[in-house]
Amino acid sequence: MSQRPRVYTTEGVILRRRNIGEADTIFTVFSPTEGKFDAVAKGVRKARSHMRGHLEPLTRSKLLLAHGRNLDVFTQAETITGYRTLREDLDLCGAAVYCAELVVRFTAERQEHRELYALLLDVLDALDGRAPLHTVRYFELQLLGLMGYEPQVDACAICANRLPEADVLLSASAGGFVCADCRAVAGAGRVISVRAIKVLRYARVVDLAAFAALRLDQSLAREVQSAVAELIRYVLDREPNTGKYLDQIARLPRFTPGADRPEDVQSL
Amino acid sequence: MEEGRSGAPEPIARLIEAFHKLPGIGPKSAQRLAYHILRAPEQEALALAVALTDVKQRIVFCSICLNITESDPCSYCLDTRRDRSMICVVEQPLDITALERAGGFRGLYHVLHGVLNPMDGIGPEDIHVRELVTRLQSGEVKEVIMATNPSLEGEATSMYIQRLIGPAGVRVTRLARGLPSGADLEYTDDVTLSRALEGRQEL
Repeated sequence: MSQRPRVYTTEGVILRRRNIGEADTIFTVFSPTEGKFDAVAKGVRKARSHMRGHLEPLTRSKLLLAHGRNLDVFTQAETITGYRTLREDLDLCGAAVYCAELVVRFTAERQEHRELYALLLDVLDALDGRAPLHTVRYFELQLLGLMGYEPQVDACAICANRLPEADVLLSASAGGFVCADCRAVAGAGRVISVRAIKVLRYARVVDLAAFAALRLDQSLAREVQSAVAELIRYVLDREPNTGKYLDQIARLPRFTPGADRPEDVQSL
Repeated sequence: MEEGRSGAPEPIARLIEAFHKLPGIGPKSAQRLAYHILRAPEQEALALAVALTDVKQRIVFCSICLNITESDPCSYCLDTRRDRSMICVVEQPLDITALERAGGFRGLYHVLHGVLNPMDGIGPEDIHVRELVTRLQSGEVKEVIMATNPSLEGEATSMYIQRLIGPAGVRVTRLARGLPSGADLEYTDDVTLSRALEGRQEL
């Protein structure tokens, strides 16, 4: 029998948790080397657990795991980044959970994906630095690209002619945007403004920081958001659970208690 | 005699099935429990049966705070010596027991029966937030203390409720976060430690 080491180290971002039994929890981790995987932390819900705080969802941690019969078992964990700022803001936290859900839904178990891991760290770092919420669009578009679903933003998805500098139709089933001539072929879809298309193109050519620095008015931000959401919905064949929650918190009245956190007011 | 899937007589198989449905009980534990009941004196088994039916028939949710209670409203909501200007919001009825054991809080409670967990699709409509908002309408409540767990989900729930009821002019506070007694600094995560530093107090 080949000998494999009993334990291995990796780092990863904790994406979600599921409690089992009296005090155990199964965590879904996304690691640059292991990809997405589930592992169990024994007794982690007890008050004296040493790993508890290091395995909170949306924490980047160094991990030591032991191979288990079904699931691997966490034996040690130490925080690399706790992302405290985003954890303490309703909108930023919701946005980060949404990104984590997309990673859960788009990736397969145990498939190495270093680029996506780097992208996830980038967006978490940005949100932790209070980046505007439209930064999440960058994450979504890059994620679609990395997973092989990059939408066509220059050419018509049907006739491949250059898209006119005008409003176009979004057809998720065609894989992008459709020019006026092909609208009849594409069937139903939503009309997307030139401004929104430009934002999508911009996301393809710049880095995250430059995209985050964009100033989008509310209606444009919303338009881009719903266009990208439609592409994602089409690929996943479902609505991400967190999407609905983000809508719910976006509808709540804005209120900053006292002058506690004045920078709390987001442009989006 | 009719026999169940496990090869045991039907009543035993049914009992095994019933135990198996309980959280954390696997097939083997379920069998062991069922055979324990079989061997146990009849009174013991009957007492368990009565306790089971009682808990379903006699325990209700308090119509005010949603705590579990035998009489509605619950004893906390009826107690006139308690401070009606403060509501402490908790995730589960068991949290009330813990807070009462700790002592020191003389206000009222509100049980959410869950926390927001957006990734698993648990939103504000799935926990008892609306009932809390209704309770605040009388204007009697001056302070809402968020006592959800200091987890990602618990904190998201607190922040959600703060944004929801903050505009009503109610003071929203939350329990201090930091080191639990018996903790080891060496093993404490950075977020907890930095919060503990910020919340340090004069000796």
